[in-house]
Parts: sequence; C-alpha cells; structure tokens
Amino acid sequence: METANGSAAPAQNGQQGDETGFKLKFCTVCASNQNRSMEGHLRLAQANYPVISFGTGSLVRLPGPTVTQPNVYKFNQTSYDSIYRELEAKDPQLYRANGLLNMLGRNRVIKWGPERWQDWQIGMPRVKHEKDQGSAGMESGVPDIVITCEERCWDAVIDDLLNRGAPLNRPVHVINIDIKDNHKDASIGGGAIVDLADSLNKAAMEEREKVGPAAFDAGGAASRASFDERVPEILAEWQERWPDLPSTWTLSWF
Amino acid sequence: MAADSTNASSSSNGNPLALAEQLEQLNAARKVVLQDSTYYDRIVKGVLPIIGPRALLPLRRWGAEFLAESLATPVLTMRDKENITVAVLDTLRGLLDGVGEDTIVLKASVAAAASAYPVALRWIINNSYHTESWEQMSSIKSRILQIWDGAPAPVRLSCIKFAQRVVLAQTASNGMEQKTNGLDISLNMIPANHPLLDPRKLEAEATGLLDRMLGVLQDNSSDALLVDATLNCLSILIRTRPNTSNRILNAVLNFNPLKLANSPMTPKTRVLVKSLEKTTRMLLTHLLRRDPNNPMAGRIHQYIERMMRSRAEIFDEASRKRALVDQAVGDAKRQKMEGAPQFMVPPLGPGPHSLAGVFTLTSNPGLQAFDATQLPANLAAKISVKTLMTLDQQIFDLAVAGIRDRLTSIYAAGAAAAVAAQPAVNNAATAPLGVDEDDDDYEPDLTPAEDTEQILNKLDNAPPEEPTELAADAAALALGPFRLPAPPTLDPDAAAKLSQAAASRVFGPLSVLKESGASRKPKAGINRLAASSYDRDSWLTLITRLATRSTAGLDDLSSIKMEDGALDNHPPRMSLGDTIRELLYTYILEDWRRRIEIAVAWLCEEWYNDQLTKRSSGGGYNDAAALHYERWALRLFDGFLSYITAQDKVLTRFLAEIPELSRPLLGRLKVLCEDPTTVQLALTTLLYLVMMRPPVREIALDTVAEIWTEFEDARPLAAKYLVKWRPGFIESQTRAHGSDAAPGNSMAIAT
Repeated sequence: METANGSAAPAQNGQQGDETGFKLKFCTVCASNQNRSMEGHLRLAQANYPVISFGTGSLVRLPGPTVTQPNVYKFNQTSYDSIYRELEAKDPQLYRANGLLNMLGRNRVIKWGPERWQDWQIGMPRVKHEKDQGSAGMESGVPDIVITCEERCWDAVIDDLLNRGAPLNRPVHVINIDIKDNHKDASIGGGAIVDLADSLNKAAMEEREKVGPAAFDAGGAASRASFDERVPEILAEWQERWPDLPSTWTLSWF
Repeated sequence: MAADSTNASSSSNGNPLALAEQLEQLNAARKVVLQDSTYYDRIVKGVLPIIGPRALLPLRRWGAEFLAESLATPVLTMRDKENITVAVLDTLRGLLDGVGEDTIVLKASVAAAASAYPVALRWIINNSYHTESWEQMSSIKSRILQIWDGAPAPVRLSCIKFAQRVVLAQTASNGMEQKTNGLDISLNMIPANHPLLDPRKLEAEATGLLDRMLGVLQDNSSDALLVDATLNCLSILIRTRPNTSNRILNAVLNFNPLKLANSPMTPKTRVLVKSLEKTTRMLLTHLLRRDPNNPMAGRIHQYIERMMRSRAEIFDEASRKRALVDQAVGDAKRQKMEGAPQFMVPPLGPGPHSLAGVFTLTSNPGLQAFDATQLPANLAAKISVKTLMTLDQQIFDLAVAGIRDRLTSIYAAGAAAAVAAQPAVNNAATAPLGVDEDDDDYEPDLTPAEDTEQILNKLDNAPPEEPTELAADAAALALGPFRLPAPPTLDPDAAAKLSQAAASRVFGPLSVLKESGASRKPKAGINRLAASSYDRDSWLTLITRLATRSTAGLDDLSSIKMEDGALDNHPPRMSLGDTIRELLYTYILEDWRRRIEIAVAWLCEEWYNDQLTKRSSGGGYNDAAALHYERWALRLFDGFLSYITAQDKVLTRFLAEIPELSRPLLGRLKVLCEDPTTVQLALTTLLYLVMMRPPVREIALDTVAEIWTEFEDARPLAAKYLVKWRPGFIESQTRAHGSDAAPGNSMAIAT
C-alpha cells in the first residue's frame, strides 16, 4: 500500500475498489420503514449500491404484547435506537423473542430512524446522511429505481408522485415486489431485491458503455434497446426466477 | 475553489488519465454545490465551458446530467434558477443540436430543458427586452419537438415530459397546483399585450402539443414505457389546467390498456399488460379521490369497474372462485336437503291476479315489485334469450307445469264462480315461461280490462296441449309435504359445547362495533340508560348482564342435584353464565389497560347480582358457588397483576372503583412489592384507598402493615404512611421484633 502519495489519491482508490463503475441509485419502500424496506436497504448497501429507504404508513407500527396494542411511533422524529431502548425496557423477553429487538438493532446501524415517503423532499441533497449505509452516491437525493415491498405501498408511492406533479422532470422506475411482512420473508425478499438490482444495473452499465450513434447502430435489437426499455424485460426474467414474489412496474416521474 | 480547479483543467485533451482526473474534479464540484447551494451559480457557470458540445462524451454526459439535476433542484429559489437557466440555455442548445448525439446526453439535456422552460418563460414575461434568451429557448423547443418522434426511447421519455411542461406553462391555471419548481407558471401570468409572447398563440401551441402527447393513447399503443410515462404526468394537467382536462380524460377513457393481452402471454407481455392496466387505473382512482365531483366521475367509475373485471379474467384464472361443481359437495352451508324439490311454482291463492302475477315465479317481494316494462325491449329480449339458453331443462319443465297449474286453477275458478274483472291472459302461449323474472311486456294496466267471457274465450283458444293431460300432470307434479329430518338428540355435553359456541358469538360484534366517541357521549349521570345506543359500550353492558343475570338462580339447581346424586363422573360443566364470564375475562385481559372500565362495570354487575342472590335466599345464604363477585374480582386482578408496570395508574382506579374490597384482594398487592419498581404504585394505591374509601381503611392499613413487615425494600414508604395513619404501629412492631429477635439469634448461633 502506497500511502505516501498525498491524502486524496489512496482514499479514491479505496472507494473505487468497492464500487466498480456505474451504480444505479435505489430506494426501498415498505409500510413502516422497519422490516422489509430496511432489509432491502441493508442488502443493497452491502452490495455497494447507493440506497435510501422510506415507509408509506401514517405512523411507524410495530407489534406489541397483543394484536390490539401495537407500539406506535412518529416517522422522522423517532430513532431506531430510541425505539430499541424503549422496547427493551418494556419487555425484553417478548421483544427479543419476536425478533423486534434484533431488527431494530440492525436498523440502528443502518440509519438514524424511519423516514416517511410522503414527507420526503425529493431532490433535497442528502449530504448530512454520510453515516447512513448506502449513502455514498446518494448525495443528490434522487434514486433511479424505487422498489416497494407491498402493493399498497406501490399504490401510495404512485399516488403521491401523481400528486406532487412531477416537478423534477426526472423519470423513475417504480417496481413493486410483494413480500410478506415477517423476518423470514423479508430476508428472502432482500435477496430477490439485490438480484433484481444486479440485473438492472448490468443493463444500465451496458447502456453506458455504448458510445455514440455508431455503437447504437451496430448492435442487434436487444443490445440496441435502452436501459429504460429493457426494465420490463428484466423484471419478467427476474419474475421467472422468483415466481413467489409477484411484481408490478411502471415508469413514473419525480 | 472547486470551480476554479475545473476551469484550470478544461484545456485537457483526450488523455484518459486527464479525463478521469477531470471527472473526479467535476464530481468534487458537484459535492460542493450539494452541500452548499450558494455555490450553484458559480459552479454551474464554471463548468459550462468544459461540458459543451465539443467536449468528450463522458464530460458531455456528466454535464448534461449535472445541468438536469441543477435546474430541477428544489433548494434554489426561482430567482436563482432564472439566473442559472438564462446562463445555460446556449450550452443546452449546443448539446441538443449535435448531430447523432449520445442517447444519455440527449435524455438529460431534454430533461434539463423541461426544467428550464417554465423558468425561461417567467423570465421573459418579466424581462421582455431579453429577446435573446427567448430565441434560444424557442430554438431548443423546436429542436426537441423535431427529434421527439425518431429518438430512442429514453430521449422520447424526456420529450414527453418536456411537452408536458410546455403545456403546463401555456395553459390557464386554476391555481390548485403547488407553487414549487415552476409548476405554477401558467398562461395566467402572461399579459395580453406582451411584446414577445402572444398568449393565444402559446395556448394554441399547447393544445397541439397536448394532442401529440395523447397520441400514444389514441393509437392504443402497447409501448408500456411511453404510455406509462404519459399517463404518469397527466394528473397535474387534469387537476390544475381545466382546459385540458376533458380532452385528456376522453383520451384516457378511450384507451384500452389490455389490448396486449390478446397476444400470446409471455412473461414480458404479462409485465407490460399489468403495468399498463395498473398505471391507468392508478391515475383514474387518483383523480376520483382528489376530485370526486368531477363531471366525468361516473364514466371513470364505469371504466375502472370494467377494467377490473377484464383484468380478473386475464390474470386470475387460477385464483378464481371454485366452479359450481366443486362447491356443491361438502359445503355445509349450502347443502341441499335430501329430497327437497329444487324448484317449485307456488300455486296462486284465491282472489284476482294480475297477468304478471300469474307468470311470476319468484317469491322475492323485491323482484316481484320490479316493473319489467322499464327495461328496453331489446335488453329484455337479450336477457330472455340468454336465460332460456342456459336454463336447466328440468327446471324449465317444472316452471311450465307450474304456470299451467295456475292457469287451470284460474280457469276452474273462473268457470265455477264467473269471477269478474280478471285481467287478460292473452298471449299465454307466447309469453316466456320459466324465466326467473317477470319480463313480460304486457302489464295489465296497459291493456284494457277484459271481461270473464273474453278470458274464457281466450283460454279456450289456448294451445291444445294445455287443457289435456292436465290432471295427470298435476298429480305427477304434486309435491308432497316436506319434512325436515328430526334433529339429533342433544346430550348435555353437546349442549354445553354449543352454548359455548353461542357465547363466543356474543363477542363477535365487539370487533365491529364503533367505540362510542367521547365527544358525542354526554354524561347522563344517574339517569343513564344502559345499552341505549348501538355501540360497543352498550353491547358490553348487554354481555355483562347476560353473564351475571340471565342464569342467576338457575345454576344452583344442578349443584343441589349433584349433591344428591351418588357420583358424578362428568367433570363439572360450565354454566352459560360462566362461559360468558370466562370469555369476558379473556376479552378484558387481551387489552386490560384500556378495558379496565369494562372490568369495573362487570364487577359492579356481579356484585349487584350477588347481593340479590343473598337477599332472595333469605339473608343466611352463603353458598360460595352461587356468588361470583369475589372469585372473578380475584381472577381479574391476578390476571393483569403480572403485567403491571410502574406507570399503570389504572390499578389505583380499578381498586378504587370496584364495589367491594376484601383482604385477599388487597393481599395480592403484596406481589407488586417484590419488584422495587412497582412498590410505590402498590403503596400509593393503598394510600388512596385509605384516604378515599373509609370503609376499607382498616383492611388497607393492615395490608400496608403486612407489607411493612414482609418487605424490607418497601419499608421506608410504608413506614411513612403508617406513621401518619396508624401511629404507634411501627414502634410496637420494632419493640416486639427486637424482643423476638434476641432469642432467635441466639438459637441460630446455638445450632
């Protein structure tokens, strides 16, 4: 290791080692930004994708001692750490046994707290989130792909984007993957999300590698297709690999 | 700063190392503006020379994407954006004009132009002297509209969005949009006498562009990417640009997103069809939700419903409901009774009947009242034909025979008594028989009343097969009286099981019933009528009384019997009351903090009932089995005691409100003293009782005293209360203890 060449260069090299080339930017969404979206967030971040995550619910809801007594928190104002500590104080046995503490323990090292999709100012630079996992590359605060984990959340996202009126003029692929809200399925879903992300990113990289109109004309039909056009095809292929996770796709606007 | 460094390296040539370095610097510059928006102006203007149309491809890509990002950013004010926009127009035009320009560069440049357009328009509105900017913007616009059709898909996406922004800016607004990112810039802002801009021309242009945008829908295109992109940017136009809304909605409602479903269903078409359908539906439901009073709402509803049905047919073949064949077997609820006729035509009663009445087969009063003449003739014909086609022959025969019977009876009655004013029974042969609804077009009031003579004539002229073999038919078809099979004999166990099930059903409505809102429930005080409104409280009152009162005094009969009977092998069965009590107990414990009120209400009922039982049995009654209050109070208390935390003030409330307290009940509080966090709760609860419930003051103080003796940790607080309320106790205890302790200690040493 040559560290004597000044300060900037080695750091740059180190980063490049992690993230080779172009990376699509992702956003994962579930109801409470706790289980499924955070599993996706973690797995995408571990795969070196820039990623952020949100919940579309009105409040963060976690299971409580009975079905009728959920633990409820406000989005954007409660940290994973404080929820962790509160539940641990309430009933450590219960919340350890049902996996909540484990989940919150994971979440609190990913980012500060659950964020609500509808309150997100799209395009606000996220420069104050350097400590979040997956923040590298996400500074502009605008993802290329939004992956929701439930039809209801997809609907909420689309409705919200229609409502915002597409002020940024930036296209975004919004994909739903139906993942059941439990730890096991979230983990399986996380793997499926990374698989999809890899397939999408490969296509996006291929598009970037094509240079100029000459390359455009040279290739066959498949390679001539742009990334945007290939998304439904990639999703269809992915769906064949993951038949138990029904998916929906649309192209929307930020 | 970063901007300066990028300037410095702008002269580099095609050397890949220099290029990488340059991109690195540019990225650093981008980070700077993202961190501090005040640098935007300097850095955007600084990078323009490096990213121009003659720069290397990676730089042009970076530049176009940076411009798109900068012009869209929500952090800048409109004023800042105007400055930047005017400055970048030239570069943007250069990038767009390049022949055979790279797709990514074009896509980002058009997106940047889409953000620039409303800003530039606003700038021109206020600075009409600045013709140059408007010329640049106009030439960008015409260039984009020119490349739109032949461009690769990503560029077309951006072109659609660009057109949408032009339409948005050049049509009149209703002011409903958010005032961000230039969405509010509209035709309203352009004065009629503007030297450069002619509102009428601009609006005409917008109308043309809108039509061009909607072209993909009108062509019923199956290019999901472009259709989705179009649909997903229409909402704001429909909502905030009233002049466009009809045109757009018509195009959307005439669009068939399921057209692709006719082609072979590959995985990809499946994704595309689903996407088209769902995107269309999302837009329409979104509009319905935002604007339920839209004049098109009815059509939108219809469209959505139609689409949901078609969609279900296409996608959910497998998950559809089981076919009738599967359902008939093993479905307890729908099991048909053995031997029961599937269909029968009830004979007409005495008295005059309308023609419709004679041919009405249904016994449903609602259907009977339906006026079939309201249906248009062609629809009625269609329904009749469809029904006749699918009708079971057996049922049809039964219906025909039934109507025949009716006619015969009418005939007989008419012949015998010559009853007047029978409505016409003309066309009996041609009227559709056996159709499960009265869809004849001959309402009696529409035809002049005929007299008996005429009716009889008509009946005489009826088809020949009718009057013959009537008797035989009637005999063959006479339906014997139907008897339900005798119910299985009910043994006590089954009865108990059933009553348990019945009791649990009593709790069913609780999950559905509304919580009685605190606001609309005025405190009626002592005049309150229990269960006077149909809400959850009322239902709970009903349940508690069902548990406590319904079987009061009946249960003890069995207990007496049991004493007489030699040996009872059966385990003691729960009475209905106890079953409900058990369920009520579980219900309360499921969420005891919020249901403590129910617990109190229930215990009040139990206590009241116990008092009545005692009185009715003449005072001396003391059979514990017939008294419930104490038992259930203890169980409830035990039930939630283990969940109590230091914050649960409901404990105090519970003990304060239940009608009777006993030593064992208060003794349970000692459990709380084992946990240091709940000691205070237990003791303050007792203190409250001491202060506020004089009748139990002594028991409560005894409990405090016991806590004092048994729990070392609780002593300080207990002592405080004892000093005040039972002076002298501690002294006497310590003295007694002291004298006890000495021999005890010596014993310990001795052993």
